[in-house]
Amino acid sequence: MINHPITRRTAVGLAAGVAVVAAAFIQPVRAADKSVTVGLDLSLTGADAESAKRVEYGAMMAFDEANTKGGVNGYKIVVTPYDDGSATAGQYDPAQAATNARKMVSDKATVAAIGPQMSGAGKAMAPILSEGDLATITPSSTNPDITDPKFAAQYRPEGKAIYFRTVATDAFQGPYMANYYADVLHVKTVYILDDSGAYGVGLADAFQGQAEKKGIKVIGRDRLDPKAADYSAVLTKIKSLAPEAIYYGGVLQAGVKLAKQAYDIVPKMIKGGGDGVQGPEMLSAVGYPANEGWYATVASPHVTEDAKMAEWVKTYKDKYHVDPDDYAVTAYDAATVILAAIGQVTAGGKAPTRDAVRDAIQAVKVSTLQGPVAFDANGDLQDKTISVFQIKQDKSLPPDDMRQYHYIGVAPSA
Amino acid sequence: MSFSDLLLQQTINGLSLGAMYSLLALGFTLVYGILELINFAHFNVFMVGSFIGMWTLQLLGINGQAVVMTGLPLIGVMLLALLVTMVLSGALGVVIERLSLRPLRNVKGPAAMITTIGVSYVLFNIILLTVGADSKNYPNPLPPVQWAIGDAVLRLREVLIWAIAVLLMVALHFFVQRSRMGKAMRATAQDPEAARMMGVEVDRIIIIAFFLGSALAGAGGLIFGLYYNFTSFIIGFTAGLRAFTAAVLGGIGNVPGAMLGGVIIGLIEAMGGQFIATAWTDVIIFSILVLVLVFRPAGLLGRVAPNKS
Repeated sequence: MINHPITRRTAVGLAAGVAVVAAAFIQPVRAADKSVTVGLDLSLTGADAESAKRVEYGAMMAFDEANTKGGVNGYKIVVTPYDDGSATAGQYDPAQAATNARKMVSDKATVAAIGPQMSGAGKAMAPILSEGDLATITPSSTNPDITDPKFAAQYRPEGKAIYFRTVATDAFQGPYMANYYADVLHVKTVYILDDSGAYGVGLADAFQGQAEKKGIKVIGRDRLDPKAADYSAVLTKIKSLAPEAIYYGGVLQAGVKLAKQAYDIVPKMIKGGGDGVQGPEMLSAVGYPANEGWYATVASPHVTEDAKMAEWVKTYKDKYHVDPDDYAVTAYDAATVILAAIGQVTAGGKAPTRDAVRDAIQAVKVSTLQGPVAFDANGDLQDKTISVFQIKQDKSLPPDDMRQYHYIGVAPSA
Repeated sequence: MSFSDLLLQQTINGLSLGAMYSLLALGFTLVYGILELINFAHFNVFMVGSFIGMWTLQLLGINGQAVVMTGLPLIGVMLLALLVTMVLSGALGVVIERLSLRPLRNVKGPAAMITTIGVSYVLFNIILLTVGADSKNYPNPLPPVQWAIGDAVLRLREVLIWAIAVLLMVALHFFVQRSRMGKAMRATAQDPEAARMMGVEVDRIIIIAFFLGSALAGAGGLIFGLYYNFTSFIIGFTAGLRAFTAAVLGGIGNVPGAMLGGVIIGLIEAMGGQFIATAWTDVIIFSILVLVLVFRPAGLLGRVAPNKS
């Protein structure tokens, strides 16, 4: 066996050979394969993972459809997913969300984003996205502060709206539900709880303000630690104060435990929350009958049961094997808006830039699954609808089917 | 609800929490007493234990709260689930000791403690990645029996938790105080070198301490699931930290101290939620811990630690 020492020349030759072989396998970037990147930030780790999946599928469905049609004006849409949930937080983690926002902003190919799912993440991301001039459309984060011009210096220091929503905000979700408590359920006394998160506190505050205006007596307000397991102390206190109803502002990490223990301690009391308690885990992890009777709202029109949506729902189910919820629809709508904006920007053969895509989103008027979508100057949806649901087990449906949330109607706006 | 009923109800709530914290605190104390090591892996052995209990109950055909059992079958299922959970959790503790702590036995400094933090995160992530992040509905065959005492309610599951916790703690106490093995354990705790010279197999004693502590954590995990009807990958940290606090409060290394500490923390949590605000629970618990340690650095019942001189 001849043992050649590897000289510098042979090494260069070898490297060149490897490069040639590798190049043969890697698809060269041809001019026709133009693409743009859209970021997708959701809370895929933690208590809201189930809901996050449905939102993700909604957005992916719209992008996949566009790509199978050949993309938008020849541009393929590449989706870069980000997860802002962390194992230590057990749910969305604002620190992780900020990191994700920085990654999105520093990726030059990213022209727009969808997300985040959670308001706590949104508050961390918005200022970074503003500095990077990157528009995002959230399908489900409802905390009003982020788009409120009062807090513009904090959440959009660069001035322009970059945080758009295909849902209404808690400035409507909380108060409209207070109207529902007062006018429809005739509640006179309420105890309010929140989960100490950005979304939960904001929602509970908004509910409380309107409830007091409506003459509902707020007997108490308390804050749950979402990582604690035991809420029996506060529930026993509530039992002793005997309000007619509980309103909970928060997401499912505390919500699941609250629902279970509330059923043990105050089974007859009226209980409700916002879109944070509208999720599959409320059905599967809480279980019947503990979850029955809970009211939940969604900050968008309820369309998944519309006859004209049947085909869309079926396509979604066939593809992803779960039922879409309303935020799967708003995610699809958010993707529709982004596709329309990219389409408009690239119509004249121009390459899409973040700035142009943002302006196109701002000016968009597009018909989506939930109806026509247009934004005001702050990025909020012009049409504000809050839908009310109540969990009532229908034994003919699977226990974790989202239709176990029976649609009651639209919450009163005054 | 009258004030006395309210007080009674919060006491019931607090004692149930306390029973769980005590079981968990015993594991910290057993290992600390012998190795002077704070075992943070214990947090998540508890969590894994609750999953082992869940799977055992599911294998026995119990799903959610739909299957309700009474009488002998219930006792049988409970004992079997408890036994399987404790044995497997105990085995997990032994594996952790064997694989990650024994190689560090003679390393000075905090290396072993840091390793237990690492192991804790490994367990946590294994469960997160294999069973998923969503909360699980816990299989529970207990009938919804309850008794009213005035306006306060005492439920069967509370009685059961207390019974299991007290039985296990009494058994542990007798094991440590009366059995030959217990004597060897106490000897090792006092002075490992001398114990070794007297013919005590120190490695075996350490394994037994890990087995017992982890088995108790597993039992705690099962009880947690049955009490709250839920479990999740994240339950270890809050419960573990409070149980650790209980162990320190009672005097770490001290078996009755761990029980006392657990009950005190449970009662503080319940009463704090009633009379102050739930949001302040941790502030209250840890302030009391700081106060106790300032005035009684060795904890309420005094600390027991190996004589390292």
